[in-house]
Amino acid sequence: MRPPMIRNNPMCTRINVTPIIDVALVLVIILLITAPMLTVADLDVDLPAAHSRDIEDQGYISLTVSKWGEIAVDEKIVPTVDSVREYLVARMNQDDQKDALVVVRADAGLPHALVRKVLEEARASGAARLAIATRQGGE
Amino acid sequence: MWLQRRQADEEGMSDVNMTPLIDVSLVLVVILLLATPLAFESSFGVRKATSSARQASSETEAPFIEVTILSEDEVQVNREVVSRPTLARVLRPLLASSQTRQVSVKCQDEVSHGAFVEVLDITKLCGAKEIAVAGR
Repeated sequence: MRPPMIRNNPMCTRINVTPIIDVALVLVIILLITAPMLTVADLDVDLPAAHSRDIEDQGYISLTVSKWGEIAVDEKIVPTVDSVREYLVARMNQDDQKDALVVVRADAGLPHALVRKVLEEARASGAARLAIATRQGGE
Repeated sequence: MWLQRRQADEEGMSDVNMTPLIDVSLVLVVILLLATPLAFESSFGVRKATSSARQASSETEAPFIEVTILSEDEVQVNREVVSRPTLARVLRPLLASSQTRQVSVKCQDEVSHGAFVEVLDITKLCGAKEIAVAGR
């Protein structure tokens, strides 16, 4: 006698949700861990290479200057270099980060005049500690 | 025949389900690939050179070493102009004899940020304790 096919494997009709729950939980955990690291603007920046390092703060305010001269405070694009101070003061007051480290992430090909202007604006906005970002290692 | 098939199905259930493990591993690989450039970023601290510090340096036989980047290849250390590859050779004995090991770095406007950072890096590697970036 031919066995009834449907009655033998009724579980096959259900969708296995275990993998999707696994992936979702892993994504949540990884996003929680990497969220503080991703507060930098998505601008085209080729950081200068260096071997030395001396500042390892976890929480910092990033000041990005792209190869095309676009400037951003964390992920917010700043219209002109003169507006850096206003944006930076607002950012420092936002989470009461008056003594936060301000890291200037400037492209290696930029003229020093622009980077110095950004550093001066950061200093004028009351940043107590300043650092210049580099790419670890070098060629 | 029906009994044989039933047995084969039950044997198949004993296999370890690798799908979740592979899913999680692939997600981890993708996220690590995205986060790697940020993990390799570093930075070094700079402070602004004050005029009083520079004045003091000129009066007391320079405990504050002055480095001026003249162009992409030329650097002036105190009053001596050297090429960038020979900067470390000139700077190391000066820093070794300095008590404060403080360096003030000044840079011309047209010099690239990459060259500026390279000089800062050499200065740090030569043993500078504190680097101050001088204004215009």
